Amino acid sequence: MHSAALPRSLAITGLDTFVGVRLVERLLREPEQPRIVGIDLRVPRRLEGRIEFARIDLTEPTADSAVAEVLTKNACDAVVHAAFFARAFSDRSYAHELEVIGSLHVMNASAAARVAKLVVTSTAQVYGARPDNPNFLSERHELHGHPQSPTVQDRAEMERLLELFAKRHPQITVTSLRPCWVVGPGIDSEVIRHFDRARVTTTMGFEPLLQLLHEEDYLNAIELALRKDVPGPINLAGSGALPVSTLLRLAGKRRLAVPHPLLHRLGYLASVWRAGASPEGFYDYLRFLWVLDTQRARDELGFEPEYTTREAWMSLVVSRRLRRYR
Amino acid sequence: MNLDDPDQPWLDKQEIAELRQAIAALRRQLESGFEQRTGAADSLGGDLRGAGRRLLDRATEDPIALLRELGRHLSLLPARASSADVDEFGLDAAAVERARPLLDFLLERWWRASISGLDLVPAGERVMVVANRSGVLPWDGLMLSHVLARHFAERPRFLVADWLVHLPFVQSRLAALGGVRACAENARDLLKSGRCVIAFPEGQKGALKLFHDRYRLQRFARGGFVSIALRENAVIVPAAVVGAEETYPVLYESGFVSRLLGAPALVTPTFPLLGPLGAVPLPSRWHIRFGEPMRLDAVDPALADDPLWVNRMTEQVRGRVQRLIDAEVRRRKSVFS
Repeated sequence: MHSAALPRSLAITGLDTFVGVRLVERLLREPEQPRIVGIDLRVPRRLEGRIEFARIDLTEPTADSAVAEVLTKNACDAVVHAAFFARAFSDRSYAHELEVIGSLHVMNASAAARVAKLVVTSTAQVYGARPDNPNFLSERHELHGHPQSPTVQDRAEMERLLELFAKRHPQITVTSLRPCWVVGPGIDSEVIRHFDRARVTTTMGFEPLLQLLHEEDYLNAIELALRKDVPGPINLAGSGALPVSTLLRLAGKRRLAVPHPLLHRLGYLASVWRAGASPEGFYDYLRFLWVLDTQRARDELGFEPEYTTREAWMSLVVSRRLRRYR
Repeated sequence: MNLDDPDQPWLDKQEIAELRQAIAALRRQLESGFEQRTGAADSLGGDLRGAGRRLLDRATEDPIALLRELGRHLSLLPARASSADVDEFGLDAAAVERARPLLDFLLERWWRASISGLDLVPAGERVMVVANRSGVLPWDGLMLSHVLARHFAERPRFLVADWLVHLPFVQSRLAALGGVRACAENARDLLKSGRCVIAFPEGQKGALKLFHDRYRLQRFARGGFVSIALRENAVIVPAAVVGAEETYPVLYESGFVSRLLGAPALVTPTFPLLGPLGAVPLPSRWHIRFGEPMRLDAVDPALADDPLWVNRMTEQVRGRVQRLIDAEVRRRKSVFS
């Protein structure tokens, strides 16, 4: 079935995230006025009193029945699952509980409440940045993840569970959105924090092409996924790709190129402290190619990014410059 | 020694004369040494002796001017390649422009390539050039793409071996000049986007041939390139590159060390004996020949999944390339002249 209207009633897990807040604000401006219920540990201040809120901890063992209850009570047609950490969380077991088991709870609740659509905001990092990647990764590519990045491994495991779930429940349209790195003035993530420094550390001698997606385009894609029925994974990326050095030069940043054996050894402690992972888990994404083939997004979802990679990057750079002059 | 001023000689006339005498003496010594140690004319020793003599012939022509020119071209390349706009496969037009004098020098003066059959290459269609792999480093791919650059609207891309992508510095430099990692998806995406692809189906087997096996084509992978060409409606153009195998005459290849390093470990007469300098490719004379294009229009696309047809077609292409090679090897009179 192909519908271009928003679902009449939808639930959003991970309300207190960039996706949660901005998506709800967008949907509240729509003339269709869908009924929205948000699920998280606390309601963000911007949305206080504007929508229904259910306080559910997805890491609790009873989370699935609690979520199912909320979905049934509000007669939800669709669920947007965005309950993921924006940056790597140092407590890996808690993060695993939320991102994998929590997602499983949401999936089971969606099946029990008989929703028609489940949209999950995943990431294209699950393909893994490897030297033997083809120049363009399509959705059929195997999910290798990254053995040294627990975050990516958790997401890859979540994707695999999602695929099994979709097979077992063919009546639910399960869409998994896999964007490249999303940048913009409002969003926060590990890579943005990494690039916010004046001197950016990269691996010496490697110059992969990077794609970036602007945050507005990301929200556009999520909205399109809610309107249209496109089951399966979808790669999302801004048009064009740029090498890392060009990005840094455009931003006027200095590059600190460290040979990779040194980088992985010296950065180990800091990385484990901050992100619970060894440095390769992040730096390999600045070392090897993981450029996405976005044919499926164009053809089936009808998604055309309004911002190219360069424009998305510049919007981030300009917003940072303005911030300094405030 | 002043590389920037071409008119000022590195060495004065006296030193040049002495150098020439020393080279001639060395040559006589080598010749007599080889004569003593080697036997039949087509043994490895005989081959090396012939190659060595021809290299010395070449070296005694005008080594100083040639090396000086090479040095000048290398010094003109900026130390750090800054990439401005690259296309989706990594090709940097500005880097190609900067490297063009060096590439022209390599093609016309260092390797003095003679090119034939260029008019046989179709211009407006999807083309997959299939050539013999000659050498571990992708000089052959680089030179073929440079030769065909003017023939096509877009610069053709050449497929490079896996292990090169693992090395720092190499992947981006190669990509800037048109090198793309060799895999089925990349070949398919390149053809889909309308670019010419230069493929070397022999792969590592072809690169690591020992010197006495040169110009004998190894097995052409498992025929993946034929399936891709059929599915993407591409024309297969067989090409032979003769002379590139002598740039690194491989004497011995160590499997154990290769696995340790993750890269081919080769022994040539100059490498690793002379260190990194020994990896400079020797100035052998290249002959590049393009053959009649092989069109797959009349073939049923479903045959791309038929292993028997694929194998037969692969052998046909391999046969064509081998015939081109043999014709060129017979035609040329000596390796280095």
